[in-house]
Amino acid sequence: MKRTTLAIAVIVLAWTVWDTGSDPVRLARGVPWIADFLRRMLPPDLRVLPAALHGALTTVEIAVLGTAVAAAAALPLGFLSARNVAAPAVFHPARAALNFFRSVDTLVYALVFVAAVGLGPFPGVLAVVAYTTTSLAKLYSEAIEGIDRGPVDAITATGATRLQILRYGVLPQVLPLFLSYVLYRLETNIRAATVLGFVGAGGIGFYLQTYLRMIDYPAASTVLLVTVAMVMVVDAVSSRLRARLV
Amino acid sequence: MIEVSGLRVVLPPAVAAVDGVDLTIRGGEFVVILGRSGAGKTTFLRALNRLVEPTAGTVRLGGRAITGADAATLRGMRRQIGMVFQQFNLVRRASVVENVLAGRLGWSPTLPTLFGRFSENDRRFARECLAQVGLADFAARRADTLSGGEQQRVAIARALAQSPSVILADEPTASLDPALTGSIMDLLRAINVQRRLTLVVSQHQLETARAYATRIVGFRRGRVVFDGPPSALTPAVATGIYGEDTPA
Repeated sequence: MKRTTLAIAVIVLAWTVWDTGSDPVRLARGVPWIADFLRRMLPPDLRVLPAALHGALTTVEIAVLGTAVAAAAALPLGFLSARNVAAPAVFHPARAALNFFRSVDTLVYALVFVAAVGLGPFPGVLAVVAYTTTSLAKLYSEAIEGIDRGPVDAITATGATRLQILRYGVLPQVLPLFLSYVLYRLETNIRAATVLGFVGAGGIGFYLQTYLRMIDYPAASTVLLVTVAMVMVVDAVSSRLRARLV
Repeated sequence: MIEVSGLRVVLPPAVAAVDGVDLTIRGGEFVVILGRSGAGKTTFLRALNRLVEPTAGTVRLGGRAITGADAATLRGMRRQIGMVFQQFNLVRRASVVENVLAGRLGWSPTLPTLFGRFSENDRRFARECLAQVGLADFAARRADTLSGGEQQRVAIARALAQSPSVILADEPTASLDPALTGSIMDLLRAINVQRRLTLVVSQHQLETARAYATRIVGFRRGRVVFDGPPSALTPAVATGIYGEDTPA
């Protein structure tokens, strides 16, 4: 049984190697080209630093605004798709909808929204909202399903209404988790937002793509360095905040 | 007065946890429901305020039926029944006084409470309840920084904040250090005597039941097998409640 599984796995992997044309020799032959590419990126052209920083700021704005809107929009969805809170008639369609919309990546949403509202950061924000809302709703609902039943019983026994039970029995248990998930999403959204510019949805990706197209590698390398610095700063701040929550 | 008649609770898959109980508890009694674990004590208490839905039978409080009451009526009646749990069931991350204020939820309009707003009277009363359990200085502390005994006192204060006529306490001392059993039971007795509240307390410890109850109701396999004053609880009767094993 185990042996058959292993054999099947080996066959599948071998086929994917062949079908994708993955070839270590080709990679080895390409190494000098990568070296050449890197050499031409140096030294970075710092004259484009103001433009790169402006792009980075836009990217952070897209991620922050998109994540914030999604964090709020996901709240009702999270409760509606939690097995222990919502009625089965609500829960099943809500879960199905979440899984459907979550299977589409932010970049794909960006293509749709650029077509809908035009170029710029705004379709980027919409794309972040669209993906993050469903992914946060899923995380919220799982947190709600993992709560301790005890405080819910205690609040119910006081004669509280359904909304009061959610507010006093459920919310205090899940709120720190929710905030932690939101910060985690913010980190991944910063990364996702760096490439939104490639499809015209604003931010630092627009500059990277432009300089690469113009074969201005020193300028592109400045943009890359700013991107790395931006991601690291946001990660550091966010993980420090998260550590405080738990 | 609590009148229970023909109460049956069948838990999934098909266990009759409470199997035909008739019981009338008069105002001001301190009733201990005695029985070993699995005898149906917890399910019985939870059926009284319908945290567990009874399968058959009726429960009445002050002449009004709890069983079959619609959602709004049920909430109104639950306010009159404070409940204390074995695991305290506090909201661990909330402050002590917020936990006690939760006892006022049934008496407060929903919308302001969703934003954490309670009337000044409610806040004052919550502090009085905290003082009554001896924790006046703990109001601002986070609930999970308190010891087990202190947490159970907060839970009792939360029940008092409901200004109930009855308090149900489900094994209130079972998850505490044995040394703390007396102080929690003393507190419940003080509430019973001073506020003339009816107490229904489940216990698996025979000696504690004897020391505090004005009336003991013995449970075995979901049925009442003894009902009388502590003085009538002879060793033979105790064996009938606990089975062949010596009582703990």
